[in-house]
Amino acid sequence: MSQRQLLGTEEFGVLAELGHAFATTLDINQTVRQAVEQIAIHMDAEAAALFLIDGNKGELVCRACSGPVDVTGLRVPRGRGIVGRAIKQNKVQLVQNVATDVDHAGDVGGFVTRSILCAPLSAAEGPIGALQVLNKRSGQLFDTHDRDILRLLAVPTTLALSNARLAEELMQRERLRREFQLARQMQKTLLPLRQKDCPVLGINIPAREISGDFYDHFALPDGRIAFCVGDVSGKGMDAALLMVRASSLLRWAGKEGLPPDRWLARVNEELCQTVTEGRFLCALAGYFDPETSLLEWSNAGLPPLLLRSAKGGYRQFIADGPPLAILADYPYTSNRCLLGDGSAYIYSDGATDVRGEGSEPIGIDGFQALIDQLVDLVPRARLRGLVSRLRGLHLADDTTLMLVEQDPEEAHYLAGISIGCDAHCLKLVRHTVDEQLQRLGMPADVRQRIVLAIDEATANVIRHAYQGDASGRMSLDIWRMGGQLHFVLRDWAREVDPSRIKPRDLNHCRPGGLGINLIDMVMDQWGFEAPADGSGNVLRMIKNLHEGERPCPQAVAPDTGEK
Amino acid sequence: MTAANTCVTVNEDGFRVVRVAGEVDLSWSQKLRKAILDALGGGGPVAVDLAAVSYIDSSGIAALVEGFQSARGKSQPFSLVSVSQPVIAVLELARLDRVFPIYPSLAEAPKA
Repeated sequence: MSQRQLLGTEEFGVLAELGHAFATTLDINQTVRQAVEQIAIHMDAEAAALFLIDGNKGELVCRACSGPVDVTGLRVPRGRGIVGRAIKQNKVQLVQNVATDVDHAGDVGGFVTRSILCAPLSAAEGPIGALQVLNKRSGQLFDTHDRDILRLLAVPTTLALSNARLAEELMQRERLRREFQLARQMQKTLLPLRQKDCPVLGINIPAREISGDFYDHFALPDGRIAFCVGDVSGKGMDAALLMVRASSLLRWAGKEGLPPDRWLARVNEELCQTVTEGRFLCALAGYFDPETSLLEWSNAGLPPLLLRSAKGGYRQFIADGPPLAILADYPYTSNRCLLGDGSAYIYSDGATDVRGEGSEPIGIDGFQALIDQLVDLVPRARLRGLVSRLRGLHLADDTTLMLVEQDPEEAHYLAGISIGCDAHCLKLVRHTVDEQLQRLGMPADVRQRIVLAIDEATANVIRHAYQGDASGRMSLDIWRMGGQLHFVLRDWAREVDPSRIKPRDLNHCRPGGLGINLIDMVMDQWGFEAPADGSGNVLRMIKNLHEGERPCPQAVAPDTGEK
Repeated sequence: MTAANTCVTVNEDGFRVVRVAGEVDLSWSQKLRKAILDALGGGGPVAVDLAAVSYIDSSGIAALVEGFQSARGKSQPFSLVSVSQPVIAVLELARLDRVFPIYPSLAEAPKA
């Protein structure tokens, strides 16, 4: 039978109305309800219902109905009932007497079903539901003509429902995209603003829309710069939410200037109380003092901090404990070192997990090799260069890089003292010097030697330059330049002949004349300079900090090279 | 807390013991020098107890060297006893740690 023969004017009218309603609707649920009513009327049925497959279980749920009993929301297990059979066989079911059909699931709400006509709704991706009409009015039975008509009416219904689903999916996807975009924007606002001449630089490259990594740095009232890098376990929105919480907690706790181990311990305590099991946070937190170049940190599960000396040597400082949010009360420890003219690299595992040419992770060695290729660049350009090279490999994870480095030529004034020509002032000189050396985290034995050398130089001015003239004045200024400490001793006594001031032979045991030897042994360089103004002498003594290449649990002392 | 600078000479166990405390620097190393030379003037064994010295500079070391040389010239027993770590560090730096007769305590110092 051709379509022209099948359809009468009435059928065309119903089809046209359905198509128009579906094409123009903004509310698919309401339109479907109206369509089911129209289908019931047109098919001359006592009731009609639209079932859709719901969720992964494949249950059928009645989404719209027409008739004396409202069965909207009725759920039918997958494959059950005549409606389930229609979907399973993907074929219209014409049951003229349900009493003889074993699949009939029974009646609801007192409605007595005699006959059923049920057409599956089949879309491109497979069955999505079924449309059924019950009991032809006036005691008649549904026939094959009715069957073909219902099959035909199922087509625009299927199309409309498929389109509605697609539209809903698109809207949901767009909503998610906007939410992710907002989350990313919010994450970006959590990252610190770029600050000119700040020795702490960071960069974050998210692997997806939003990142589980973060970094932060901020100045403390005492001049130190607090910094942290974090890497939240897992991906997606829940990881991002933990990242927001963790970064806020780290900033809050870091503002107090607590020692790094206590800083992490405090955040750990908070996270252990609130974070869902299975989630954790790798984090490194610390401080950098731009004056002294003292770097302090504690590392909870992040890859080793890399210290690169100006000469190109590396030291790796492995984590001091497990990631945060795993073990409450874990006793984290702190590290200290003098950065001097070296550089500290802090990074999340994304930087070392990138795949090289052999598809193996590049690891810390590979990361160091990338740094070595870029050492001639200024810090920010070097970080960008690292990002560019990591992107050139197969960057699969969120990646965060932080670099702590200072201009080695920049002079940082530490302290100064002006004293009279009086040996009783020597104690004050020693105290002033020792205080600064303690700020640098130097161990007691190194401090003792430096203090001795400065004391000897000052005593020499009192004894030899001024020859005890009580009216004499002198000043001592302490500077740090890159990896060097400069002690500048200025006096206004008669000019000394530098060629006569040299160490003596220590093999001759005699009292006196040791001072210059002690200065010479302790300092890496020393010498006289012409005063910028006025008369007198300027003695500059230089002690190398050696880029903190000699770490110890509490401090990293410069390697003096002395035995 | 840093001990006050003191230099006291006592007779103990057959020795003239010069007991030094505090920070020995140019401001009072002459007192130490005089105390050592005075102690040596008695002719008997002399020991300089440096247990309580938290700092010593080259002028303090010079006072010890002068005492050591004076005693050697007279073949008089002269020892440094209970030498604190800061003093040992300076003696090592000046390569004098093997020149001076250094003993852990007065009981171990020779009287002849």
